Amino acid sequence: MDARLVVDIEKRYPGFHLQVRLTVGNEVLVLYGPSGAGKTQTLRAIAGLVRPDRGEIALDGRPLFRSNGRGRALNVPAHRRRIGYVFQDYALFPHLTALGNVAFGLRGPGRREEAMRWLRRMRLEQVAGLYPSQLSGGQRQRVAIARTLATGPAALLLDEPFSALDPDAKGRLQRGLRELQAELALPVVYVTHSLEDAFAVGQRIAVIAEGKLQQVGTLEEVVSRPASWRVARAFGLPNLLRARVRRATADGLHLDWEGLELVAAPRELSAGQEVLAYIRPEEVRFIYPDRPLSAAVRHNRLRVRVLEQRLGPDFRLVRVRTEGPSWAELEVRSPPSTYADLPLVPDRELEVAIRPSGIVVLEALPQAEASAEGSSGS
Amino acid sequence: MTEALIVTLKVTGLATLIIAVFGTLLALLLARARFPGRTLLELLLALPLVLPPTVVGFFLLYILGRGSPLHDWLGLELLFTWQGAAVAASVVGLPLMLQSARAAIAAVDPELEDAARTLGRSEPEVLLRVTLPLAHRGILSGLFLGSARALGEFGATLMVAGNIPGRTRTLPMVVYDAALGGDLALAAQTSALLSGIAFLALALTRRLEQPARR
Repeated sequence: MDARLVVDIEKRYPGFHLQVRLTVGNEVLVLYGPSGAGKTQTLRAIAGLVRPDRGEIALDGRPLFRSNGRGRALNVPAHRRRIGYVFQDYALFPHLTALGNVAFGLRGPGRREEAMRWLRRMRLEQVAGLYPSQLSGGQRQRVAIARTLATGPAALLLDEPFSALDPDAKGRLQRGLRELQAELALPVVYVTHSLEDAFAVGQRIAVIAEGKLQQVGTLEEVVSRPASWRVARAFGLPNLLRARVRRATADGLHLDWEGLELVAAPRELSAGQEVLAYIRPEEVRFIYPDRPLSAAVRHNRLRVRVLEQRLGPDFRLVRVRTEGPSWAELEVRSPPSTYADLPLVPDRELEVAIRPSGIVVLEALPQAEASAEGSSGS
Repeated sequence: MTEALIVTLKVTGLATLIIAVFGTLLALLLARARFPGRTLLELLLALPLVLPPTVVGFFLLYILGRGSPLHDWLGLELLFTWQGAAVAASVVGLPLMLQSARAAIAAVDPELEDAARTLGRSEPEVLLRVTLPLAHRGILSGLFLGSARALGEFGATLMVAGNIPGRTRTLPMVVYDAALGGDLALAAQTSALLSGIAFLALALTRRLEQPARR
């Protein structure tokens, strides 16, 4: 995909160092991370509302910012960047009607008609004369998007635009956003701290934590193979664990998880190396006590005790506690129909098996960090 | 009294204009800009609130009189004119305007101004189309208060412009002269008129300070 929006910036705040490098093509790129990670600051820098210390921002080959931190810098002011920005709480002008808000960025004699066209397109014509305080959350959100798109931006930035909406309105708007992106062919950066939102709208995801960009890739890629402990934590991934390499052999990587042996997929790591890993919840299988074992459950058998079970429309989620020296909690996910004839009632003792491919070893991290992260839990 | 009423209206009118322009600009500066000496400027501008008006007038004699840049370079003859009285009245009324206008401007959500910028509006447009419209209640209420104060100004205007009947004698001076000269009826009438105007200005201010019903 051709890069249209190129961002490579750095800015120091007291106690916080923002360092982001990413390219956005003709797509919706999700900028994902916990609150305080630097997502909004990144958007503000792209829009020209804050000035990075150094770096470069370019849109369709047009430089918007360039500075080496010393001497003269190029810094196109926000109002000439042609970058649309939809703010988290919409920032609608309270003294203007919906129509007035959408017409705000337009010029010339036909501006009201043009604004009305955008309102119609967002199915807002019936509220054109109302003030923001008289609109529902979803309507405000659509006014904010209409107002931004009416100015004909060359790129679109959305800051948690769906966080305050009910699930129904959210779903509709998320589908609408994907359609709009495809139709207008704009590079879109979509900031969110909700993984659900990310999956609903995004094609690629950029994970940011503590001011630094951690990993960029397709959603499937990043979620199934987080590049680091930080990325995994940013996703709120369950089943994170700390282990030590016992030996690496052709059949797999043998790990010592507080005395329990786990076999992960083969990887080149030296014995004694401390690693951070996570167990994919959908790769943990319960073993029926009264049935013969299948080949799929040869590895990584652990005794567990059921803590609770939640049944959703499209998933079954069981939380268990390992009955070993580690006393860790694990999440087990399956389709709802699986285990229909195995009562997973609290306190029941069972055995689980985990395929080696279900144990993902994240980057082996420095010892100091590993212990600090490990003690704070997940 | 008619003569004095006309002088008073001229003085108050010009003072209101001065307060409106300088008050808005200074309020913007104090609410939004960060610069060295900001606190000092703030204190200096608030000083007329607590100084005796005669002291303000005394300083203004130097600022407006012979030897000052306004007099010697711009050739402005302000002492003992109604325009001079207007300047003195506006200096005393300005702090009241500033307090209210500044708070109103500071209360405008900066994100709205940012939104206007990303919608392609330059700084002057952001000011005229977002900041000032959103702060207009506080600015107007401050202006009414400041101009009511200018209307009632006595000490500073007396020092700067004197008490020349038909030229610089304003209604507050009529009250002073009448009361000293034993014309208590005139003093009472004039006082009643000034009180009525002051009451109206305060009522207007009060109304503007109430939240908008929308």
